[in-house]
Amino acid sequence: MVVLLRNLQNVVPIRRARLRKDVETLKRILGVQRFDVGIVCVDNRKIQHINNIYRKKNMPTDVLSFPFYEDLRPGKLPCALHGDEYNLGDIFLGVEYVMQQCQERSWDFHGTLTVVAAHGICHLLGYRHETEEEWDEILYGIQVRRVGWPIKHSNTMLSKPVTRSFGTVGRCQVLLEKELGISIKLVSRWKHEVL
Amino acid sequence: MLKSLTRAVSIAARLTNKAPSVSVCRATEPLVRSVLCAPTSATTRPFTRSIWLMCGNNGAASDRRAKLLGSKHTLPSCGCGGLHTEGDKAFVEFLSDEIKEEKKIQKSKTLPKMSGGWELELNGTEAKLTRFISGEKVTVTFNVNNSIPPNMEEEPEQGQKSEDNEPDVVSTPNFVIEVTKQGAKNSLVFDCHYPEDEIGHGEGEDESEIFTIREVSFQPEGDEDWKETSYTLNTDSLDWALYDHLMDFLADRGVDNTFADELIELSTALEHQEYIKFLEDLNGFIKCQ
Repeated sequence: MVVLLRNLQNVVPIRRARLRKDVETLKRILGVQRFDVGIVCVDNRKIQHINNIYRKKNMPTDVLSFPFYEDLRPGKLPCALHGDEYNLGDIFLGVEYVMQQCQERSWDFHGTLTVVAAHGICHLLGYRHETEEEWDEILYGIQVRRVGWPIKHSNTMLSKPVTRSFGTVGRCQVLLEKELGISIKLVSRWKHEVL
Repeated sequence: MLKSLTRAVSIAARLTNKAPSVSVCRATEPLVRSVLCAPTSATTRPFTRSIWLMCGNNGAASDRRAKLLGSKHTLPSCGCGGLHTEGDKAFVEFLSDEIKEEKKIQKSKTLPKMSGGWELELNGTEAKLTRFISGEKVTVTFNVNNSIPPNMEEEPEQGQKSEDNEPDVVSTPNFVIEVTKQGAKNSLVFDCHYPEDEIGHGEGEDESEIFTIREVSFQPEGDEDWKETSYTLNTDSLDWALYDHLMDFLADRGVDNTFADELIELSTALEHQEYIKFLEDLNGFIKCQ
Protein backbone atom coordinates (compact mmCIF):
# COMPACT_ATOMS: atom_id res chain seq x y z
CA MET A 1 0.00 0.00 0.00
CA VAL A 2 2.66 2.43 1.05
CA VAL A 3 5.81 3.49 -0.73
CA LEU A 4 8.19 4.45 2.02
CA LEU A 5 10.60 6.88 0.42
CA ARG A 6 13.82 8.05 2.01
CA ASN A 7 16.44 10.27 0.49
CA LEU A 8 19.64 9.85 2.48
CA GLN A 9 22.02 11.65 0.16
CA ASN A 10 22.75 15.16 -1.00
CA VAL A 11 24.66 14.50 -4.22
CA VAL A 12 21.71 14.24 -6.61
CA PRO A 13 18.52 16.29 -6.32
CA ILE A 14 15.57 13.90 -6.24
CA ARG A 15 12.03 14.77 -7.27
CA ARG A 16 10.34 12.84 -4.53
CA ALA A 17 6.76 13.26 -5.68
CA ARG A 18 7.59 11.97 -9.16
CA LEU A 19 9.58 9.01 -7.90
CA ARG A 20 6.77 8.02 -5.53
CA LYS A 21 4.15 8.34 -8.24
CA ASP A 22 6.20 6.25 -10.65
CA VAL A 23 6.83 3.53 -8.09
CA GLU A 24 3.14 3.46 -7.18
CA THR A 25 2.30 3.13 -10.87
CA LEU A 26 4.82 0.30 -11.21
CA LYS A 27 3.27 -1.49 -8.25
CA ARG A 28 -0.16 -1.17 -9.81
CA ILE A 29 1.09 -2.45 -13.17
CA LEU A 30 2.77 -5.39 -11.49
CA GLY A 31 -0.33 -6.17 -9.45
CA VAL A 32 1.28 -5.59 -6.08
CA GLN A 33 -0.36 -2.33 -5.13
CA ARG A 34 -1.49 -3.83 -1.81
CA PHE A 35 2.11 -4.33 -0.73
CA ASP A 36 4.42 -1.87 0.95
CA VAL A 37 7.81 -1.18 -0.54
CA GLY A 38 10.73 0.85 0.76
CA ILE A 39 12.76 3.02 -1.61
CA VAL A 40 15.99 4.40 -0.21
CA CYS A 41 18.07 6.82 -2.28
CA VAL A 42 21.76 6.70 -1.41
CA ASP A 43 25.04 8.01 -2.80
CA ASN A 44 28.01 6.01 -4.13
CA ARG A 45 29.74 5.80 -0.77
CA LYS A 46 26.71 4.33 0.91
CA ILE A 47 25.73 1.84 -1.74
CA GLN A 48 29.35 0.72 -2.03
CA HIS A 49 29.35 0.11 1.71
CA ILE A 50 26.16 -1.96 1.53
CA ASN A 51 27.37 -3.77 -1.58
CA ASN A 52 30.56 -4.68 0.25
CA ILE A 53 28.77 -5.91 3.35
CA TYR A 54 26.13 -8.06 1.62
CA ARG A 55 27.79 -9.05 -1.62
CA LYS A 56 31.49 -8.64 -0.84
CA LYS A 57 31.75 -6.34 -3.83
CA ASN A 58 33.51 -3.19 -2.81
CA MET A 59 32.16 -0.94 -5.53
CA PRO A 60 29.16 1.30 -6.07
CA THR A 61 26.21 -0.01 -8.04
CA ASP A 62 22.83 1.17 -9.27
CA VAL A 63 20.35 -0.84 -7.23
CA LEU A 64 20.31 -3.38 -4.44
CA SER A 65 17.10 -5.17 -3.53
CA PHE A 66 16.30 -6.70 -0.17
CA PRO A 67 13.20 -8.85 -0.61
CA PHE A 68 10.86 -9.47 2.30
CA TYR A 69 10.03 -12.85 0.74
CA GLU A 70 13.40 -14.35 0.05
CA ASP A 71 12.27 -17.62 -1.53
CA LEU A 72 9.59 -16.22 -3.77
CA ARG A 73 9.14 -17.97 -7.07
CA PRO A 74 9.21 -15.58 -9.99
CA GLY A 75 5.72 -14.90 -11.25
CA LYS A 76 4.05 -15.89 -7.97
CA LEU A 77 2.62 -13.19 -5.80
CA PRO A 78 3.47 -13.40 -2.11
CA CYS A 79 0.77 -14.96 0.07
CA ALA A 80 0.39 -12.38 2.78
CA LEU A 81 -1.86 -13.34 5.67
CA HIS A 82 -1.44 -10.46 8.04
CA GLY A 83 -1.00 -6.71 7.61
CA ASP A 84 2.72 -6.83 8.37
CA GLU A 85 3.25 -9.38 5.62
CA TYR A 86 2.00 -7.05 2.90
CA ASN A 87 5.54 -5.96 2.37
CA LEU A 88 7.77 -6.56 -0.62
CA GLY A 89 11.00 -5.34 0.95
CA ASP A 90 13.40 -2.50 0.34
CA ILE A 91 15.22 -1.18 -2.69
CA PHE A 92 18.38 0.89 -2.34
CA LEU A 93 18.80 3.12 -5.36
CA GLY A 94 22.35 4.24 -6.03
CA VAL A 95 21.18 7.57 -7.39
CA GLU A 96 24.68 9.00 -7.77
CA TYR A 97 25.75 5.97 -9.79
CA VAL A 98 22.61 6.18 -11.94
CA MET A 99 23.15 9.89 -12.46
CA GLN A 100 26.72 9.25 -13.65
CA GLN A 101 25.45 6.68 -16.13
CA CYS A 102 22.79 9.07 -17.37
CA GLN A 103 25.32 11.84 -17.86
CA GLU A 104 27.58 9.52 -19.86
CA ARG A 105 24.71 8.43 -22.10
CA SER A 106 22.66 11.64 -22.12
CA TRP A 107 19.64 9.87 -20.62
CA ASP A 108 16.86 11.48 -18.65
CA PHE A 109 17.70 10.90 -15.00
CA HIS A 110 14.27 10.54 -13.44
CA GLY A 111 12.99 8.36 -16.26
CA THR A 112 16.02 6.13 -15.83
CA LEU A 113 15.54 6.06 -12.08
CA THR A 114 12.05 4.68 -12.61
CA VAL A 115 13.51 1.97 -14.82
CA VAL A 116 16.04 1.09 -12.14
CA ALA A 117 13.27 1.05 -9.53
CA ALA A 118 11.21 -1.27 -11.77
CA HIS A 119 14.19 -3.55 -12.01
CA GLY A 120 14.56 -3.51 -8.25
CA ILE A 121 10.89 -4.37 -7.75
CA CYS A 122 11.30 -7.32 -10.12
CA HIS A 123 14.00 -8.61 -7.80
CA LEU A 124 11.70 -8.17 -4.82
CA LEU A 125 9.19 -10.35 -6.69
CA GLY A 126 11.68 -13.16 -7.01
CA TYR A 127 13.13 -12.54 -10.44
CA ARG A 128 16.84 -13.25 -10.82
CA HIS A 129 19.22 -12.87 -13.69
CA GLU A 130 22.06 -15.15 -12.88
CA THR A 131 21.34 -17.02 -16.13
CA GLU A 132 19.97 -15.91 -19.47
CA GLU A 133 16.78 -17.84 -18.79
CA GLU A 134 16.25 -16.08 -15.54
CA TRP A 135 16.97 -12.82 -17.23
CA ASP A 136 14.34 -13.44 -19.87
CA GLU A 137 11.88 -14.46 -17.19
CA ILE A 138 11.83 -10.97 -15.80
CA LEU A 139 10.27 -9.73 -18.98
CA TYR A 140 8.05 -12.77 -19.42
CA GLY A 141 6.82 -12.77 -15.84
CA ILE A 142 5.80 -9.17 -15.97
CA GLN A 143 3.96 -9.63 -19.22
CA VAL A 144 2.08 -12.77 -18.26
CA ARG A 145 0.88 -11.32 -15.01
CA ARG A 146 -0.55 -8.17 -16.44
CA VAL A 147 -1.57 -9.07 -19.95
CA GLY A 148 -4.32 -11.47 -19.12
CA TRP A 149 -3.30 -13.65 -22.02
CA PRO A 150 0.14 -15.15 -22.14
CA ILE A 151 2.48 -13.76 -24.67
CA LYS A 152 5.22 -16.02 -25.82
CA HIS A 153 8.50 -14.46 -25.01
CA SER A 154 11.74 -14.96 -26.76
CA ASN A 155 15.25 -13.70 -26.45
CA THR A 156 14.79 -11.61 -29.52
CA MET A 157 12.02 -9.70 -27.84
CA LEU A 158 14.55 -8.12 -25.53
CA SER A 159 16.39 -6.57 -28.38
CA LYS A 160 13.35 -5.61 -30.42
CA PRO A 161 12.10 -2.10 -30.19
CA VAL A 162 8.85 -1.97 -28.28
CA THR A 163 5.88 -1.09 -30.39
CA ARG A 164 2.77 0.60 -29.17
CA SER A 165 0.35 -1.87 -30.64
CA PHE A 166 -1.80 -3.87 -28.23
CA GLY A 167 -1.80 -6.75 -30.59
CA THR A 168 1.88 -7.37 -30.59
CA VAL A 169 3.09 -6.43 -27.17
CA GLY A 170 1.93 -7.06 -23.64
CA ARG A 171 -0.42 -4.76 -21.84
CA CYS A 172 2.22 -4.26 -19.25
CA GLN A 173 4.54 -2.82 -21.84
CA VAL A 174 1.86 -0.47 -23.01
CA LEU A 175 1.14 0.63 -19.47
CA LEU A 176 4.79 1.19 -18.79
CA GLU A 177 5.07 3.16 -21.97
CA LYS A 178 1.93 5.15 -21.50
CA GLU A 179 2.08 5.81 -17.80
CA LEU A 180 5.76 5.98 -17.13
CA GLY A 181 7.30 6.62 -20.49
CA ILE A 182 9.58 3.58 -20.13
CA SER A 183 9.73 0.29 -21.92
CA ILE A 184 10.33 -3.19 -20.62
CA LYS A 185 13.37 -3.17 -22.82
CA LEU A 186 14.75 -0.50 -20.57
CA VAL A 187 13.80 -2.39 -17.43
CA SER A 188 15.48 -5.51 -18.63
CA ARG A 189 18.55 -3.62 -19.80
CA TRP A 190 19.36 -3.06 -16.18
CA LYS A 191 21.31 -6.25 -15.88
CA HIS A 192 23.24 -6.33 -12.70
CA GLU A 193 23.13 -7.26 -9.08
CA VAL A 194 20.60 -9.21 -7.09
CA LEU A 195 20.59 -10.07 -3.43
CA MET B 1 48.11 58.39 93.13
CA LEU B 2 45.26 59.02 90.80
CA LYS B 3 47.67 59.15 87.94
CA SER B 4 49.25 55.87 88.92
CA LEU B 5 45.85 54.28 89.37
CA THR B 6 44.78 55.34 85.89
CA ARG B 7 47.98 53.93 84.53
CA ALA B 8 47.48 50.70 86.45
CA VAL B 9 43.97 50.33 85.01
CA SER B 10 45.24 51.07 81.56
CA ILE B 11 47.97 48.46 81.83
CA ALA B 12 45.45 45.98 83.23
CA ALA B 13 43.16 46.65 80.32
CA ARG B 14 45.94 46.12 77.81
CA LEU B 15 46.96 42.91 79.52
CA THR B 16 43.35 41.77 79.48
CA ASN B 17 43.11 42.46 75.76
CA LYS B 18 46.12 40.32 75.09
CA ALA B 19 44.78 37.41 77.11
CA PRO B 20 44.27 34.41 74.86
CA SER B 21 40.77 33.60 76.03
CA VAL B 22 39.50 37.02 75.08
CA SER B 23 41.23 37.22 71.73
CA VAL B 24 39.94 33.81 70.66
CA CYS B 25 36.38 34.78 71.34
CA ARG B 26 36.65 38.03 69.53
CA ALA B 27 38.60 36.61 66.65
CA THR B 28 36.18 33.77 66.05
CA GLU B 29 33.05 35.84 65.92
CA PRO B 30 33.77 37.90 62.80
CA LEU B 31 35.14 34.86 61.01
CA VAL B 32 31.98 32.91 61.62
CA ARG B 33 30.05 35.90 60.48
CA SER B 34 32.09 36.13 57.34
CA VAL B 35 31.43 32.50 56.55
CA LEU B 36 27.73 32.76 57.14
CA CYS B 37 27.38 36.09 55.38
CA ALA B 38 29.56 35.24 52.45
CA PRO B 39 29.64 38.50 50.48
CA THR B 40 32.01 40.64 52.48
CA SER B 41 31.60 44.34 52.41
CA ALA B 42 34.27 46.98 52.32
CA THR B 43 33.42 48.02 55.85
CA THR B 44 34.10 44.60 57.35
CA ARG B 45 37.39 44.09 55.57
CA PRO B 46 39.66 46.28 57.79
CA PHE B 47 38.04 44.91 60.91
CA THR B 48 38.59 41.36 59.89
CA ARG B 49 42.13 42.07 58.90
CA SER B 50 42.83 43.77 62.32
CA ILE B 51 41.51 40.73 64.13
CA TRP B 52 43.95 38.53 62.21
CA LEU B 53 46.73 40.83 63.23
CA MET B 54 45.57 40.81 66.85
CA CYS B 55 45.61 37.05 66.88
CA GLY B 56 49.34 37.26 66.38
CA ASN B 57 51.40 34.24 67.24
CA ASN B 58 49.49 33.02 70.22
CA GLY B 59 49.54 29.24 70.41
CA ALA B 60 45.94 28.01 70.67
CA ALA B 61 44.51 30.93 68.78
CA SER B 62 47.00 30.45 66.00
CA ASP B 63 45.98 26.77 65.63
CA ARG B 64 42.35 27.64 65.38
CA ARG B 65 43.10 30.36 62.89
CA ALA B 66 44.96 27.84 60.75
CA LYS B 67 41.87 25.62 60.75
CA LEU B 68 39.66 28.49 59.86
CA LEU B 69 41.95 29.49 57.03
CA GLY B 70 41.60 26.00 55.72
CA SER B 71 38.15 26.97 54.44
CA LYS B 72 37.85 27.99 50.80
CA HIS B 73 37.65 31.64 51.50
CA THR B 74 40.58 33.92 51.02
CA LEU B 75 40.77 37.61 50.99
CA PRO B 76 39.57 39.74 48.12
CA SER B 77 42.60 41.02 46.35
CA CYS B 78 41.50 43.16 43.45
CA GLY B 79 39.22 45.60 45.16
CA CYS B 80 36.29 44.72 42.91
CA GLY B 81 34.00 44.00 45.79
CA GLY B 82 33.52 40.38 44.76
CA LEU B 83 34.52 37.23 46.53
CA HIS B 84 37.73 35.51 45.43
CA THR B 85 38.34 31.99 46.55
CA GLU B 86 40.88 29.30 45.86
CA GLY B 87 38.07 27.64 43.91
CA ASP B 88 37.72 30.71 41.76
CA LYS B 89 41.44 30.69 41.06
CA ALA B 90 41.33 27.06 40.00
CA PHE B 91 38.22 27.79 37.94
CA VAL B 92 39.96 30.60 36.07
CA GLU B 93 42.95 28.37 35.35
CA PHE B 94 40.64 25.66 34.09
CA LEU B 95 38.76 28.11 31.89
CA SER B 96 41.96 29.52 30.42
CA ASP B 97 43.08 26.01 29.45
CA GLU B 98 39.65 25.16 28.09
CA ILE B 99 39.54 28.33 25.96
CA LYS B 100 43.01 27.56 24.62
CA GLU B 101 41.95 24.02 23.71
CA GLU B 102 38.70 25.11 22.13
CA LYS B 103 40.45 27.74 20.05
CA LYS B 104 42.95 25.14 18.95
CA ILE B 105 40.21 22.89 17.57
CA GLN B 106 38.22 25.76 16.09
CA LYS B 107 38.34 25.19 12.35
CA SER B 108 37.99 28.82 11.38
CA LYS B 109 37.22 32.07 13.09
CA THR B 110 34.82 32.97 10.32
CA LEU B 111 31.57 31.13 9.81
CA PRO B 112 31.22 28.87 6.76
CA LYS B 113 29.28 30.31 3.85
CA MET B 114 26.07 28.71 2.69
CA SER B 115 25.96 28.00 -1.01
CA GLY B 116 23.02 29.31 -3.00
CA GLY B 117 23.22 33.01 -2.22
CA TRP B 118 21.87 32.94 1.32
CA GLU B 119 22.52 36.05 3.39
CA LEU B 120 23.31 35.49 7.04
CA GLU B 121 22.12 37.74 9.84
CA LEU B 122 23.09 37.03 13.44
CA ASN B 123 21.44 38.01 16.66
CA GLY B 124 23.31 36.32 19.50
CA THR B 125 22.62 32.63 19.26
CA GLU B 126 19.95 33.12 16.64
CA ALA B 127 20.78 33.04 12.95
CA LYS B 128 18.62 34.05 10.04
CA LEU B 129 19.34 33.10 6.45
CA THR B 130 17.54 35.00 3.73
CA ARG B 131 17.30 34.39 0.04
CA PHE B 132 15.23 36.01 -2.70
CA ILE B 133 14.19 33.87 -5.61
CA SER B 134 11.97 35.18 -8.41
CA GLY B 135 10.05 37.57 -6.22
CA GLU B 136 9.75 35.15 -3.34
CA LYS B 137 11.50 35.65 -0.05
CA VAL B 138 12.73 32.58 1.78
CA THR B 139 14.04 32.86 5.31
CA VAL B 140 15.44 30.13 7.50
CA THR B 141 15.78 30.81 11.22
CA PHE B 142 17.48 28.71 13.86
CA ASN B 143 18.91 29.05 17.34
CA VAL B 144 22.04 27.21 18.40
CA ASN B 145 20.95 26.97 22.03
CA ASN B 146 20.17 23.37 22.99
CA SER B 147 21.03 22.25 19.49
CA ILE B 148 23.52 19.52 20.39
CA PRO B 149 21.83 16.18 20.76
CA PRO B 150 22.88 13.96 23.67
CA ASN B 151 25.80 11.72 22.85
CA MET B 152 24.40 8.31 22.01
CA GLU B 153 27.73 6.75 21.11
CA GLU B 154 28.75 3.56 22.86
CA GLU B 155 31.57 3.53 25.37
CA PRO B 156 34.99 3.10 23.73
CA GLU B 157 36.46 -0.36 23.92
CA GLN B 158 39.09 -1.08 26.49
CA GLY B 159 42.60 -0.17 25.47
CA GLN B 160 41.47 2.54 23.13
CA LYS B 161 42.16 6.09 24.04
CA SER B 162 38.96 7.91 24.64
CA GLU B 163 40.35 11.05 23.04
CA ASP B 164 40.79 9.26 19.74
CA ASN B 165 37.18 8.15 19.77
CA GLU B 166 35.70 11.35 21.01
CA PRO B 167 32.84 12.12 18.66
CA ASP B 168 32.64 15.53 17.08
CA VAL B 169 30.16 17.88 18.62
CA VAL B 170 27.55 18.55 15.98
CA SER B 171 24.84 21.14 16.26
CA THR B 172 21.56 20.10 14.68
CA PRO B 173 19.06 22.82 15.48
CA ASN B 174 15.39 22.82 14.66
CA PHE B 175 14.86 25.38 11.94
CA VAL B 176 11.91 27.33 10.64
CA ILE B 177 11.51 28.12 6.96
CA GLU B 178 9.30 30.99 5.95
CA VAL B 179 8.30 31.40 2.30
CA THR B 180 6.74 34.73 1.45
CA LYS B 181 5.19 35.50 -1.90
CA GLN B 182 4.76 39.05 -3.11
CA GLY B 183 1.35 40.43 -2.23
CA ALA B 184 0.37 37.44 -0.10
CA LYS B 185 -1.07 38.15 3.33
CA ASN B 186 0.55 35.21 5.04
CA SER B 187 3.78 33.32 4.73
CA LEU B 188 3.96 29.58 4.45
CA VAL B 189 5.96 28.39 7.42
CA PHE B 190 7.67 25.02 7.82
CA ASP B 191 8.92 23.76 11.16
CA CYS B 192 11.78 21.37 10.38
CA HIS B 193 14.17 19.26 12.39
CA TYR B 194 16.98 16.76 12.13
CA PRO B 195 15.81 13.31 13.24
CA GLU B 196 18.06 12.20 16.09
CA ASP B 197 18.72 8.65 14.94
CA GLU B 198 20.35 10.01 11.79
CA ILE B 199 23.05 11.90 13.59
CA GLY B 200 26.35 10.25 14.34
CA HIS B 201 25.47 6.81 13.07
CA GLY B 202 27.11 7.20 9.69
CA GLU B 203 27.33 3.68 8.38
CA GLY B 204 24.05 2.14 9.46
CA GLU B 205 21.54 1.14 6.82
CA ASP B 206 18.36 1.93 8.64
CA GLU B 207 18.53 5.65 8.71
CA SER B 208 16.16 8.53 8.68
CA GLU B 209 16.02 11.43 6.32
CA ILE B 210 18.66 14.13 6.73
CA PHE B 211 15.92 16.55 7.74
CA THR B 212 12.18 16.32 7.99
CA ILE B 213 9.24 18.71 8.05
CA ARG B 214 7.35 18.51 11.33
CA GLU B 215 4.64 21.11 10.89
CA VAL B 216 3.37 23.44 8.20
CA SER B 217 1.21 26.48 8.73
CA PHE B 218 0.28 29.86 7.35
CA GLN B 219 1.54 32.64 9.59
CA PRO B 220 1.61 36.44 9.35
CA GLU B 221 4.90 37.44 7.76
CA GLY B 222 7.78 38.07 10.14
CA ASP B 223 5.84 37.22 13.29
CA GLU B 224 8.12 35.65 15.87
CA ASP B 225 5.35 33.87 17.72
CA TRP B 226 3.55 30.96 16.20
CA LYS B 227 -0.10 31.92 15.85
CA GLU B 228 -1.92 29.03 17.43
CA THR B 229 -5.20 29.88 15.76
CA SER B 230 -3.77 29.14 12.30
CA TYR B 231 -4.35 25.61 11.14
CA THR B 232 -1.17 23.61 11.62
CA LEU B 233 -0.54 20.63 9.42
CA ASN B 234 1.26 17.92 11.34
CA THR B 235 3.27 15.64 9.10
CA ASP B 236 3.02 12.60 11.41
CA SER B 237 -0.22 11.50 9.83
CA LEU B 238 0.17 13.20 6.49
CA ASP B 239 -0.47 11.72 3.08
CA TRP B 240 2.95 10.68 1.76
CA ALA B 241 2.44 12.26 -1.63
CA LEU B 242 1.57 15.61 -0.05
CA TYR B 243 4.67 15.36 2.12
CA ASP B 244 6.82 14.70 -0.96
CA HIS B 245 5.34 17.69 -2.77
CA LEU B 246 6.15 19.87 0.24
CA MET B 247 9.73 18.59 0.23
CA ASP B 248 10.01 19.22 -3.52
CA PHE B 249 8.57 22.71 -2.96
CA LEU B 250 11.34 23.42 -0.46
CA ALA B 251 14.00 21.89 -2.70
CA ASP B 252 12.95 24.25 -5.51
CA ARG B 253 13.58 27.13 -3.11
CA GLY B 254 17.03 25.91 -2.15
CA VAL B 255 16.17 23.98 0.99
CA ASP B 256 17.24 20.43 0.25
CA ASN B 257 19.61 17.85 1.75
CA THR B 258 22.66 19.85 0.64
CA PHE B 259 21.28 22.91 2.37
CA ALA B 260 20.49 20.87 5.49
CA ASP B 261 24.05 19.53 5.62
CA GLU B 262 25.50 23.01 5.17
CA LEU B 263 23.21 24.31 7.88
CA ILE B 264 24.67 21.73 10.28
CA GLU B 265 28.17 23.01 9.46
CA LEU B 266 27.11 26.61 9.95
CA SER B 267 25.26 25.91 13.16
CA THR B 268 28.12 23.82 14.54
CA ALA B 269 30.61 26.62 13.83
CA LEU B 270 28.29 29.25 15.31
CA GLU B 271 27.61 27.14 18.38
CA HIS B 272 31.33 26.64 18.89
CA GLN B 273 31.97 30.35 18.45
CA GLU B 274 29.28 31.17 21.00
CA TYR B 275 30.63 28.54 23.38
CA ILE B 276 34.12 30.05 23.27
CA LYS B 277 32.64 33.51 23.76
CA PHE B 278 30.69 32.22 26.74
CA LEU B 279 33.83 30.68 28.25
CA GLU B 280 35.67 33.97 27.80
CA ASP B 281 32.82 35.89 29.40
CA LEU B 282 32.72 33.38 32.23
CA ASN B 283 36.48 33.69 32.69
CA GLY B 284 36.21 37.45 32.83
CA PHE B 285 33.31 37.28 35.25
CA ILE B 286 35.14 35.00 37.66
CA LYS B 287 38.22 37.20 37.45
CA CYS B 288 36.02 40.32 37.92
CA GLN B 289 37.34 41.91 34.76
